[in-house]
Amino acid sequence: MKQAILEIESLRKYYGRQENQTKALDGISFTVMPGEYLGIMGASGSGKSTLLNCIATVIRPTAGHILMDGVEVSALKGSKLADYRGKEIGYLFQNFELLDNLTGQENILLPLGIHGVTEKEGNKRLRELAEYLEITGVMNKFPSQMSGGQKQRVAAARALILNPQIILADEPTGALDTKNARVLMEKLAGLNRMQQTTILMVTHDSNAASYCSRILFIQDGVIFHELRRKVPNETREQFYERILAVMAQLGGGSANVL
Amino acid sequence: MFFNLVRRNSKRNRRENGLFFFSLLAAIVAFYIILSLPNQDIMGFLREMESGAVDRLLSLIPAFYAVTLFILFFLIYFASRYQLERRSHELGMYLMMGMRRTKLFTMLLAEDLWSSLVSIVVGIPVAILLSEVISLVTARAVGMGILGHQSAVSLSAIFWTIAGFVLIKLAAFLLLSGKFASKEIGALLSPTPEGAKRQRPAVLYRIALALGVLLLAAAYLLAISGEAWYSLAVMGITLAFGIAGTLLLFYGLRTVLGMLAQRQSGKSGLGVFTFRQLQENVIGQPLSLAVSSLLILAALCCFGYGASMTLYYGSNDTHTLDYTFQNSENPSELPEKLKSAGLEEYFASVFDMRIGQMRSESNDPAEAIHMDEMLELIEQQADSSARSDLLNAYSNIDNPYVISLSGYNQLLAAAGEPPITLNNNQAALYGYDSFTNREKAELINHVLSQEPEIVANGERLQLTGTIQTRNPVTDRAITLYFALIVPDETFDRLAEERYTHYWDATLSPGFVQENGRMQAIQQINHKLDATDIHYESYLQSMGRQLFYQVASSYLTLYLAVIFLIIANTVIGMQFLTQQRKTGRRYRTLVRLGSHYEAICLSANRQIRWFFALPIVVAAVGSVFGVRALFSGFLPPDLAENIHGLYRIAFVILFLLCVVEYGYMLVVTRASSKYILTRMEAGREE
Repeated sequence: MKQAILEIESLRKYYGRQENQTKALDGISFTVMPGEYLGIMGASGSGKSTLLNCIATVIRPTAGHILMDGVEVSALKGSKLADYRGKEIGYLFQNFELLDNLTGQENILLPLGIHGVTEKEGNKRLRELAEYLEITGVMNKFPSQMSGGQKQRVAAARALILNPQIILADEPTGALDTKNARVLMEKLAGLNRMQQTTILMVTHDSNAASYCSRILFIQDGVIFHELRRKVPNETREQFYERILAVMAQLGGGSANVL
Repeated sequence: MFFNLVRRNSKRNRRENGLFFFSLLAAIVAFYIILSLPNQDIMGFLREMESGAVDRLLSLIPAFYAVTLFILFFLIYFASRYQLERRSHELGMYLMMGMRRTKLFTMLLAEDLWSSLVSIVVGIPVAILLSEVISLVTARAVGMGILGHQSAVSLSAIFWTIAGFVLIKLAAFLLLSGKFASKEIGALLSPTPEGAKRQRPAVLYRIALALGVLLLAAAYLLAISGEAWYSLAVMGITLAFGIAGTLLLFYGLRTVLGMLAQRQSGKSGLGVFTFRQLQENVIGQPLSLAVSSLLILAALCCFGYGASMTLYYGSNDTHTLDYTFQNSENPSELPEKLKSAGLEEYFASVFDMRIGQMRSESNDPAEAIHMDEMLELIEQQADSSARSDLLNAYSNIDNPYVISLSGYNQLLAAAGEPPITLNNNQAALYGYDSFTNREKAELINHVLSQEPEIVANGERLQLTGTIQTRNPVTDRAITLYFALIVPDETFDRLAEERYTHYWDATLSPGFVQENGRMQAIQQINHKLDATDIHYESYLQSMGRQLFYQVASSYLTLYLAVIFLIIANTVIGMQFLTQQRKTGRRYRTLVRLGSHYEAICLSANRQIRWFFALPIVVAAVGSVFGVRALFSGFLPPDLAENIHGLYRIAFVILFLLCVVEYGYMLVVTRASSKYILTRMEAGREE
């Protein structure tokens, strides 16, 4: 059996004290296998972003374990932590977070400079990624001269340039129109299929989620449901229908409607 | 409640923006120091001897005050703008929460007034203290002693300091609040970084850069060739070239920085980011960078010129005599008079210096001397400005003087120099020391070595020795650019009865040592004033030198410091403001896995470059600027003292490095502190 890339064990994140306490994550456990495309869905405030931020070491969990390749993430400090952020995970932001005074190429190559990787190694990967993501035309343009879709694909190339173990995508289609969102999702799914890139994506866009191979639904800080796409028989459209059905149940379904 | 908010905001502004607060204090101190100049001990002292010149200098103070006001206005304007831009989001939030614009305006005004009040409360005592210290130090340095120290606190200076400060603060505030009031809330809430600004075709910037360099080169050339001083028009063109060249240079600099950024691509570290940030900074504010560079250039020129002039007047001391007495009625009785006034014991030596006028037989002084041989010898020398000056002067001697050898030798003895020996048909040449600079002296001495003959009143005399430049009187009782030193018998024949006794005297060394020369002379002057003896003391000469020294150094150093403070504050604040505006990028770097040290390294590199750009441009300019000032203003003597000038240049360079290092340190600290807040990469919704 393959070893899991990411293991989450009884993860808890509480805000506030005692009576005012909010349980953003209340004992979540799951694993991500290599080459998996995992979606995490849930309503606003369900705790999905908290989960992603815990994994990305942006916030520190109250209790529980996050193991990346068997290494406890919360124990990382200093340069190891920085290396983890840059090399082990690739982060895709909702609002791209490109440096708007750097060209597309400079943005993509930025992690190389940060982590002291020589350009030679990077250049080959840069060409492959740029070609695959169809951004060769904007390599020398600044973000202000790109469309939203191009920006997000440049950001994706930046997240992928160092070949991280896992891509963490935080609502990557949130700031894109339908067409660009579809292009991005197809590219990510293609990467996952062809290069076995592991992706963990937080979204509340059912359409985007339908590209995943597995989806965890979170509500009030706990896993509420899990869906697996039945490969190879189930089409994306059928999977989408199933997602919509679960989404309708989220928040208690019609039972909560007064 | 409202007042609490105002006080808290104002306090936060001061804490977050220490550099600006420091500049406000500097502004207050600058105002006060220039305004309290008349109250300084040294000015009071100088007024006694050079009242005309001092009054002229002091009448310039309002002009200096106005210039300072004008320049500091820009500083405060820029600095307040950065401060408001930094708070743009906060101000937008106030409006979003329903605060009316008039209320917001009132709040900002109140904050501004409060911070002005704090600056004044802190600044005025500092200014008074500093001004007192300067007064005491200068008084001590020139040997006036500090016993007669008068407190320099001036109520009118305090009043005008506060008035000027509040005036420029209010003016800047009104201009800025007008600008901010017209902004939409959306624009306030999310200010766009300068990088988003419209870019023009790259070729335009390259042309600007090339043109800037060419214009600067032209300005430098005009400046050092001395042509700039020929007329106001050429000077205007030089300045216009220099200013336009600097502006264009900074406008076009982005291409160079872009190229540097591209060269960093693929290298380890944040090189690309560093240079792109720098480029954006330069793109955003080419004007303020160019102005800062020009200000630093002005500061360096002021420093260089002021320091050289100070050194010149300081080193120009050819002091030998303390007193020259003139007693027209009964000249030979002067030693008796001093004795009866009880002053004899204070003097080490008193001797008679006879100086007379030559006349031809037809009673025409212009015909009294013929020196064709001498002129011919001078003409044979290589062409130089000294040669033409000498030819010009010596061919038109319309008032030739003779000095008695016995008197002059006593002067030389007092100065500790060997006496001149002349036989009856020999003479030595005398020339006033400011006229006879080193170049001329060398030329004349070369000519004198051939012992040319001249004809004085029909008598042939052989010129011998070297040219003498020691002043035969203590100050300006008589100023001679040409005289013959002749043996006493020859003197009696040539001057007949047309001569004056100048009784020269030196104070006894013990008395001088006890009191310091300046006070010793002052004491004797008081005693002499009670008698009917006419005298001239070294104090006048000392006072005049002091005056030039004080006037040139005080004002130029004052301006230089102000320029330097303004330029550095503008540069530093511009950097910190941009850093804050682009704080999100630093956060992104953190999320991409950048270390704190790596980001600080990049920021510090940006800071060094950002300071270095205007400074290097200014430093290059100052090399030409100071030389231009010298060729325009400098007394010829100093132009020869090139080693002294190099020494000054190094001192200035060193001082500049210290000041810039200090500023960079402050900015670096602020920057590192800010980056630390970016390290806690919280999620931004």
